[in-house]
Amino acid sequence: MIPTAAPWAQTAKQQEVQAKHHPQGNTGPGSTDPVLSTNGTHIPPPSSSTPSANQQQQQQQQQQQHEQQQAQSSPGGERRYVPAHKALANASDLQLFLQSEACRDYIAFVLALNQAVTGRKLSEVGQNPSPAVQRMVATLDVLGSWVDEIPPEQQSLRYGNPAFRTWFARLTEQASSLLERVLLPEHHPAIVELTGYFIDSFGNATRIDYGTGHETTFCAFLHCLSKLGVFTEADHGCVVSLVFNKYLNLMRRIQTTYWLEPAGSHGVWGLDDYNFLPFIWGSAQLINHPLIRPKSIHNPDILEEFADEYLYLGCITFVKQVKKGPLQETSPMLCDISYVPHWAKVNSGMIKMYQAEVLSKFPIMQHFLFGSIIPFQRPSAPSAAASK
Amino acid sequence: MPPFVNPYADLDSQIEALMSCKTLAETDVKALCEKAKEMLAEESNVTPVRAPVTVCGDIHGQFADLLELFRIGGQCPDTNYLFMGDYVDRGYHSVESVSLLVALKVRFRDRITILRGNHESRQITQVYGFYDECLRKYGNAEVWKCFTDLFDYLPLTGLVENNIFCMHGGLSPTLDTLDHIRALDRIQEVPHEGPMCDLLWSDPDDRGGWGISPRGAGYTFGNDISEHFNHVNGLDLISRAHQLVMDGYSWSHDQSVVTIFSAPNYCYRCGNMAGIMEVSDDMSSTFQKFEPAPRRGEPEAASGGGGSRPDYFL
Repeated sequence: MIPTAAPWAQTAKQQEVQAKHHPQGNTGPGSTDPVLSTNGTHIPPPSSSTPSANQQQQQQQQQQQHEQQQAQSSPGGERRYVPAHKALANASDLQLFLQSEACRDYIAFVLALNQAVTGRKLSEVGQNPSPAVQRMVATLDVLGSWVDEIPPEQQSLRYGNPAFRTWFARLTEQASSLLERVLLPEHHPAIVELTGYFIDSFGNATRIDYGTGHETTFCAFLHCLSKLGVFTEADHGCVVSLVFNKYLNLMRRIQTTYWLEPAGSHGVWGLDDYNFLPFIWGSAQLINHPLIRPKSIHNPDILEEFADEYLYLGCITFVKQVKKGPLQETSPMLCDISYVPHWAKVNSGMIKMYQAEVLSKFPIMQHFLFGSIIPFQRPSAPSAAASK
Repeated sequence: MPPFVNPYADLDSQIEALMSCKTLAETDVKALCEKAKEMLAEESNVTPVRAPVTVCGDIHGQFADLLELFRIGGQCPDTNYLFMGDYVDRGYHSVESVSLLVALKVRFRDRITILRGNHESRQITQVYGFYDECLRKYGNAEVWKCFTDLFDYLPLTGLVENNIFCMHGGLSPTLDTLDHIRALDRIQEVPHEGPMCDLLWSDPDDRGGWGISPRGAGYTFGNDISEHFNHVNGLDLISRAHQLVMDGYSWSHDQSVVTIFSAPNYCYRCGNMAGIMEVSDDMSSTFQKFEPAPRRGEPEAASGGGGSRPDYFL
């Protein structure tokens, strides 16, 4: 139903439950939450509703600092992985993150993928996938097969279909073992950290919703794999054309099968109800295209012929499928952008807009996950670097 | 004998223009909001409403569907209406929808009641579209400011014949009686927490008692809470909106709560029916459901060839 979430930082009382990844209080018995990591410990922040949120937050911060020290001080420079956890408690935390190396690093990854697909069709950049890419794609196929196995429940009172919770429970249960199949044994120690990102990439089971925050989490997951060396620079084209595209199509199936609510949608006044990144990389693909212009989104023949090769056109096609009504009314922003003269301008605009409208928005980023690979540190924290 | 002069001539012509989905001039919006403010300031937090009345849920800028609602339910003032908030955000025609409802309120004050929804707020409208729409349609934020200043005056709840209690969201753990609600100081931006916030944000839930809302504001409340509240206040029914229900209306809590949602195919994609509840003289309720109004053909792709291109793309 596109529920409205409060856009302000939560009050202490609300934080007690809300800061949790998947608020237990709303899932009732048979809850798939909280997420379990490989060793069966809860992924923080496990703030329960007993102590005050402030205490919890402090404990959580201390634990986090401790973990980061551990991560960086372990002998031989070997990384100590920690379960991925939320760390941005308020707008000033978000500002810290935006100015951090971790954030610059993440954006650099988005831009590297952008570069890898600039001016190229999906089929062109999807040649010769590495074994890691192939294993990742196969894993996403497994998740897709679960959608076949778990049909939507026959209920029509509310919007989101509760069968999504069954699908999600299976994801939560099997995430670690799935990642064991994606990663070589040398990377298995990272699974404890990666599962949080992986699970959060596919939406929220309590609210039965999905949005750009989940998409960003998936990109962060890919970024982690890249930093671990699972994907190399040579894989970047395939990461977009095979892995991300597979993910995108899986999410579309999930959205339409289980009626996922678009998390925090701005309705017609946003870019898209669910996605952002395919508009970035998709516009890069079309830079200097001899035939297709930004205004070509109004040409049904071009959409039909090229939607499978260009993420941007695929997104427009999907919007036209799921939204009834003239595009000008259902998606005025996409229409406006169709009057930008060149794709290069669309692409640079999308990158600016992503940073402003996704990465800089607290309601989205409060759910972003951190760990040893994507760290978050407050300056007041005892310097972890000192122990180096 | 002097010729008859209709004191409402200006307003009537504004309503006529609005009915054909035209926006009012900025000065007209200002004047309209000032009049509405005076009128709404006199209304109680618990506005008494007489039956028969037709109770409606979320509209969210779906103007064509609002006209369809009047076609199905009867034109104002032939039919009395109680709207339970969320006129703006997400849809393409929030400005036109809220302008029409406010104009009808000013013209027929005893025939239409407009309550406040959680989207009738400065902060929410800046996130969910109404602010952007005002900028786009008026070139500045003045109209947004007029409306959001007016929203502070909208009553929080309506009470049909002391029997059906209507609000946008739901109950609050800090409000036991209607008198508690009457005592609230409502003329302010919707706070992030507390009784006023809860009335606009809470949702009924299958689980008993109070629960934390996944929305991050308001609470969830169970059957026991609704029954107790109705019992203590001598009510038969709590009528609220705020949540999309696929059939346009949905009972919960052993028919002590009803949810009404009046934006069909919400956000152009949800495939839901819209619903309205007609409460008759004898306080019996019947529901009408309707589909989205047929839309006109695709308009020119973008006004003035991309004159309103977002800043990021300039």
